[in-house]
Amino acid sequence: MKNYSYSKSHHLFNRAVKVIPCGIYGHFSPAPLIPVSDYPFYAVKGKGSRFWDVDGNEFIDYMCAYGPMVLGYNHPKVEAAAAKYQKMGSCLMGPSPVMVELAEYMVELVSGMDWAFFAKNGGDVTNYAIMIARAATGRKKIVAIKGGYHGVAPWMQAPGHHGLIEEDYANIIRIQWNRFDELEKTVNEHRGQIAAFISSPYHHPTFVDNELPVEGYWQKVQSLCNREGIVLIIDDIRCGFRLDMRGSHVYFGFEPDLICFCKAIANGHPISALMGKDSLKKDAAKVFYTGSYWFQSAPMAAALATLKELHRINGPKIMLAQGKKLLDGMVKIAESHGFTLKVTGAPSLPYVRLADDETQMLHQQWCGECTKRGAYFTSHHNWFISTAHTDKDVSRTLAIVDDAFSALRKKHPRLV
Amino acid sequence: MSTEKLRAQLNLYAVLQNLEELVVFDEEIKDFVKDWDISIQFSVIGGPKAYIEFKDGKCLVKRGVKRFASIVMLFVSPRHLNRMFDGKAMPILLRGFTKLGFLLKEFSVITNKLSYYLKPTPELLEDSKYLELNTRFTINTAAHAARELALYDTIGRLVCANIGSGDVQLVVQPNGPAAFVSFSENGVEAHKGITPRPVAILAMKGFKAANDFLNGKVDAFTAIVKGDVEIKGLTFMLDKLSVVLDRIPQYLS
Repeated sequence: MKNYSYSKSHHLFNRAVKVIPCGIYGHFSPAPLIPVSDYPFYAVKGKGSRFWDVDGNEFIDYMCAYGPMVLGYNHPKVEAAAAKYQKMGSCLMGPSPVMVELAEYMVELVSGMDWAFFAKNGGDVTNYAIMIARAATGRKKIVAIKGGYHGVAPWMQAPGHHGLIEEDYANIIRIQWNRFDELEKTVNEHRGQIAAFISSPYHHPTFVDNELPVEGYWQKVQSLCNREGIVLIIDDIRCGFRLDMRGSHVYFGFEPDLICFCKAIANGHPISALMGKDSLKKDAAKVFYTGSYWFQSAPMAAALATLKELHRINGPKIMLAQGKKLLDGMVKIAESHGFTLKVTGAPSLPYVRLADDETQMLHQQWCGECTKRGAYFTSHHNWFISTAHTDKDVSRTLAIVDDAFSALRKKHPRLV
Repeated sequence: MSTEKLRAQLNLYAVLQNLEELVVFDEEIKDFVKDWDISIQFSVIGGPKAYIEFKDGKCLVKRGVKRFASIVMLFVSPRHLNRMFDGKAMPILLRGFTKLGFLLKEFSVITNKLSYYLKPTPELLEDSKYLELNTRFTINTAAHAARELALYDTIGRLVCANIGSGDVQLVVQPNGPAAFVSFSENGVEAHKGITPRPVAILAMKGFKAANDFLNGKVDAFTAIVKGDVEIKGLTFMLDKLSVVLDRIPQYLS
């Protein structure tokens, strides 16, 4: 099987570092892609489940732009909706009627939520959710999960990192995932001081196995939060519309007060949403929060088209099923080569790792081998499945996986 | 822990240990110390203790107290020690009065040489031998400083609280100097050389790339993507370690 090369990517990167801090920053930085020489840096076009890099290499994409791509790149219905509003003028002196349509549709679609507020990125709405919780409760402290990711605002980042000051995280209490006893203890220790508990619906940190909630966890959390007047915020940015169209809280059987959506909401168009219960609507109205491009109509039209299409085809069901098909096949192929592939999290956004080496060096090699053969896998982050991943894509991916395992076995003939 | 005390620990435990390599890799110093048979104790009231032994052309720098050291230097406070490292104070000699001449002359020769290697200028770094030694000392200093900062710096403790267990390797390739930091339930330790079981590796391609990286002349993201630095394994440990290492300039200029 042919291995890709990336000379144009490297050439562009060398130009980029002269004028852009670290060339490519943030979650798109190639630095965590190991070995970095096996990965492309720049993409030029996408269609369906695939994208092409600047060197002309074609990839079946299992990162989906880190989640936003959910119906396939350049989906005709979504692009037509966005183009229609773009042509009319996406950023005008006042919001478009499509904003009302989108809010109405989302309130109807997402279970238990009475209003919707739109911004651009996930971090915009997780931050807004915290501000609303503080405004509503008059309390300072926020409880979050260790290793949980909610964006890049100072309070969301790990203590000690560059650009942070002690005060940024003075009121953030981090507890272990799935440990209701720890949450209860924290609430007892800070009774009357905790404004919100924020968490993803299940634990999907980087580098380690993802964990689903234990039986009864969310129900106990909801009950405790309701009793103690703590706003329960679900960060559904990564899982949202990949588990259940009504929201991931429905999938796990509980009801939060606020839900943050982004990524899959508009198939790559820039928009995020905070949804909430009626009881917090007045507080949401009191918190001043806005941005120059938050009222663009084209992304709203794209979101409306994306959500309607996902709903029409039952997107989460397709992604869960295609993910399972792919992962079951991969696990079997791994076994046939004498390796153990461990899969955690939901099949529509699985975390996959080779369990034969706890240092992950073997896993990193294997992900690199797959990527340079055309199946784009990262080793540090959960993957994403879209509704555009067809059976043909799965078959092609499994062939790549098989070839990559053969290459890995040649490098490590004695590894059991 | 006070800034002065931590700085004293860094001076004694991270900087001073470079004497071990100095007597090996600098030919002039190697010849200079080949006949020395002497030990020097550094004792700081309310602070760290360490000693240096020269014997058979070798130098060993150890934590703690050596009984019957040839020379015992007392410092009334961590600040006193730090001022000596800055060249602004003298120690109190408790033992070895007859060796005052040695301290002022011979020992000063090697500490001055170490200081020369630890304070690079762009011109000095153009010399390949200087570049190699400065890099060698920097990687050792980084690993040993990481131990102190992970255990005693407020930010370092926060960052390393959930770092996990295992040996994190820093190495200059090919065949360059190496050091590793071992994290375990029992604490943090720094070592020179290659660990047989690394859980994460940061490999720098050649002395120039290593020197630029270790001295913060290039950002880690750029260095990795350009291939000057290769990372693998549990890279979140390297991420945390780099935050800790970025604390060094807060204490050592």
